[in-house]
Amino acid sequence: MLTLVRQTPQFFDKLGSLFNHRKGSDHGAIYLIQKRLTYDPAEQQSTTAKLFPDLAPNKPLPVLVRATNGKSKRDARAGKEKLSVVVQPHELDAFYARYADVCKAGMAALKPRDKSKKRAKAKKKKAAS
Amino acid sequence: MPYFKTSQEWLDHSVALLEARPSQTRVTVRYSIKPVKPRKSTATTTSTTDQDTANAPDATTSTTSTPPPATAKPPRGSLVLKTYDPVGGVTLKYRTTKAAEVTRLMGAAMGRLGKAMAGVQDVVEEEMRDADAVVAEGDAGAQQQQGQGQKEGQQGQQQQQQQQQQGGGGGKKKKKGKK
Repeated sequence: MLTLVRQTPQFFDKLGSLFNHRKGSDHGAIYLIQKRLTYDPAEQQSTTAKLFPDLAPNKPLPVLVRATNGKSKRDARAGKEKLSVVVQPHELDAFYARYADVCKAGMAALKPRDKSKKRAKAKKKKAAS
Repeated sequence: MPYFKTSQEWLDHSVALLEARPSQTRVTVRYSIKPVKPRKSTATTTSTTDQDTANAPDATTSTTSTPPPATAKPPRGSLVLKTYDPVGGVTLKYRTTKAAEVTRLMGAAMGRLGKAMAGVQDVVEEEMRDADAVVAEGDAGAQQQQGQGQKEGQQGQQQQQQQQQQGGGGGKKKKKGKK
């Protein structure tokens, strides 16, 4: 399935379901890619030449964010999921705040912090007694 | 393909790379889950503890209750952040398994990189550099180099990275751009 998501809320819904799909299984990966969106490949040469004004740009460029489950589309059983969204420069802050929340909720298989806290407490207790 | 030890180091170098090549550089986050391989040693310990429980009185059962969760470990997740410039061939990586870092990495770090990509002026940048205790000399040098890097392209970028290496304290493994 290949989806181009124009709207940011829609993108987060899809990203959430992409993470949820991964939650049950014991293996797999999710890739999140972001890069500057340049419309015209021919224009790229001239932009690299004009890079100096880009440090203080008069026209900020949008950022393209993609998400995929890394499955090959050749394998019919794999079921490739791919979504993308274009983030306008003024939306960046709001986007990344939401992005972090969705990622935090989705990346459940990472080591939780609680364990270390418990261990530290236990160590402290031992040291105190 | 160097892995950086701290996320801050990775972020600083990634921002430098993005400033040098804002149009081509892309940032990839890979979140992968792998099943934990059951260890032979744990298997043997469980078997021995089983024997112990069979022989020993009830008091040991409380201690043997720990091995079962060890054998049925949940799959382990890991997060790899990668900044890649396809033209220069520079790859910068950072890996973590801690859930506590996710919000900071995906929100603040990716946000800062996103802003660098968009070309939005970033006010936070200098604060973060200061917080990282980068030598003022190196900072000024890097800013000079940014200007040069834009004009000179590849050469300038490599110079900038070298300077950054020197400024941020040596000992970092770093692969120079291939051509």
